[in-house]
Amino acid sequence: MALLKLENVTKRFGGLTAVDRVSLEIAHGEAIGIVGPNGSGKTTLFNIISGVYPPDEGRVFFEGEDITRLPPYKRTHLGIGRTFQIPRPFSAATVRENVAIGAMFGTLSGNVRVDEALEIADRYLKLTGFYEQRDKISGKLTPVEKKMMEIARALAMRPKLLLLDESMAGMPPKDIDGMIKFLKKVKEEEGIAIVSMVEHIMRAVAGFAQRVVVMHQGRKLLEAPTAEALSDSRVVDIYLGRPSEEAEDAESRRS
Amino acid sequence: MRRFYPLIPVLLLYLVLYVIGSEVRGMWQPMALLAFYAALGQAFNIFLGMTGYVDFGYVAFLALGSYGMALSVSSLYESPWLGEGIILIGLLLGLAMAAVLSLAVGAIALRLRGAYFAIATIGVNEGFRYLIEGVKLWGGSEGIIISRPLREAFGAAGANQLSTFWADTLIYLIAALAALITLLYMRSKISYALTALREDEDAAKVMGVHTTKYKIIAFITSAALGGLIGAAGWTLKLTYVFPADVFNITYTVEAIVIVLLGGAGTLLGPLSGGLIYAALKYWLSVTFPGLQLLILAPIILLIIVAFPQGLIGVLKAKVKGTPLEKVIV
Repeated sequence: MALLKLENVTKRFGGLTAVDRVSLEIAHGEAIGIVGPNGSGKTTLFNIISGVYPPDEGRVFFEGEDITRLPPYKRTHLGIGRTFQIPRPFSAATVRENVAIGAMFGTLSGNVRVDEALEIADRYLKLTGFYEQRDKISGKLTPVEKKMMEIARALAMRPKLLLLDESMAGMPPKDIDGMIKFLKKVKEEEGIAIVSMVEHIMRAVAGFAQRVVVMHQGRKLLEAPTAEALSDSRVVDIYLGRPSEEAEDAESRRS
Repeated sequence: MRRFYPLIPVLLLYLVLYVIGSEVRGMWQPMALLAFYAALGQAFNIFLGMTGYVDFGYVAFLALGSYGMALSVSSLYESPWLGEGIILIGLLLGLAMAAVLSLAVGAIALRLRGAYFAIATIGVNEGFRYLIEGVKLWGGSEGIIISRPLREAFGAAGANQLSTFWADTLIYLIAALAALITLLYMRSKISYALTALREDEDAAKVMGVHTTKYKIIAFITSAALGGLIGAAGWTLKLTYVFPADVFNITYTVEAIVIVLLGGAGTLLGPLSGGLIYAALKYWLSVTFPGLQLLILAPIILLIIVAFPQGLIGVLKAKVKGTPLEKVIV
């Protein structure tokens, strides 16, 4: 049984169809990259999976259960954790408290005590190399640090499926490599399926994902093994644009 | 026990007020006024301070509490075997009525966010007042006067003792109870959930926080304590309840000012805010009668602009890393 299954999911905002009949299956423990330019519907897709809003059409299944209309906090309990493209820390709280909130409310059992949650938080803060900063007010972290903290917070929820929304944007290449190593380790050790969404840092996808889904104008343009997908001419086209006919004509006349 | 240390300064402050009130001649009423406003702030803070939601209809909970007491005394005074139980039933009825109203209001209004919630609640007290006056519920616009029933049940001296001593003493106890509940919430999952939803409600939901549940917990707690304050501090003390008096939005505004002044979401904040506000108001109304609000408003404005975190918010930042950190929360 698939961990997550989307069936012809559509979401419209007024006249704009942000996600258009997208179907997708993700297996337990799989690493998937979702790529696509700005406005291709990636974040909307994440919001539908995590339950921020329901789709207008289509259905969402998690481990065989229909969760299309399930409120977000209940999805969390089933095992869906996520980060945000623009980090959303609980700014007034410390780093440790932020992660503890994930552990306290986001886990499957749902009855984690405060002191247990703080211990779990410490464990994930050590894992993400954030332990030293645990008493810092989270609102004062740099954007990249906030992204790391969100990953720790999502991991503390012990998800089966982790949705990373542009978690590596803004990171220097060295850190991206470190991050990929870290995510691989987490995926192996905790058996988490990870969906990483990126706009243009292909490095982040290439080193990590087994499979890539390419989104374009709300549609699923392509779904293929990573290497194959990233070299597909259609993918190159949506990022770099297709030469116009005039340009091609000019080119041919010159030669 | 260590977790209850922060209660020490709170209870000490109330004790000081109480002792000054009972030992210094003529100070009982002024001290009771301070305690009333501190209790009001402490009760309202559990909702406003901890969730960040502004309830403009808060006074309606105090009002229903005061009706609870009035209804209990006026309908049970002929049962002498109940004794002081009449007062206890009045308190519980006031608490229950406020809690039921908060559940009804919360179930609808707490689905709304921020300013929309505030607007939705603004009509609650006015609406209730017109309902009571319009359908002549609970005595309609004439209200309920309990001075005679109180005298018949407890005798002249007993009734006097109840309204001049016990009503105020109960306010001290309710304030202490509100402080205890605040601290218990602050040390439990509730405070983490409320912090999360106050900072970012959508993110909180995606982190697994059942936001509606925790908002309602804070709302009902705050309302129930408000009901107790209305029952003891208004009806029992004044021995009457008039809809035009108890549904007055001024008290909601005062409660908001007190919480912001002292520091929203803190334990000591609403207490210190209540003391400062009530003391200023009392002093100004004695020194500049009639002009007190005109002078008070700019002072409060200045304080809130200078200390947006509130007094205790600033103090908390100052004592961070010192041993005082454990006590000032």
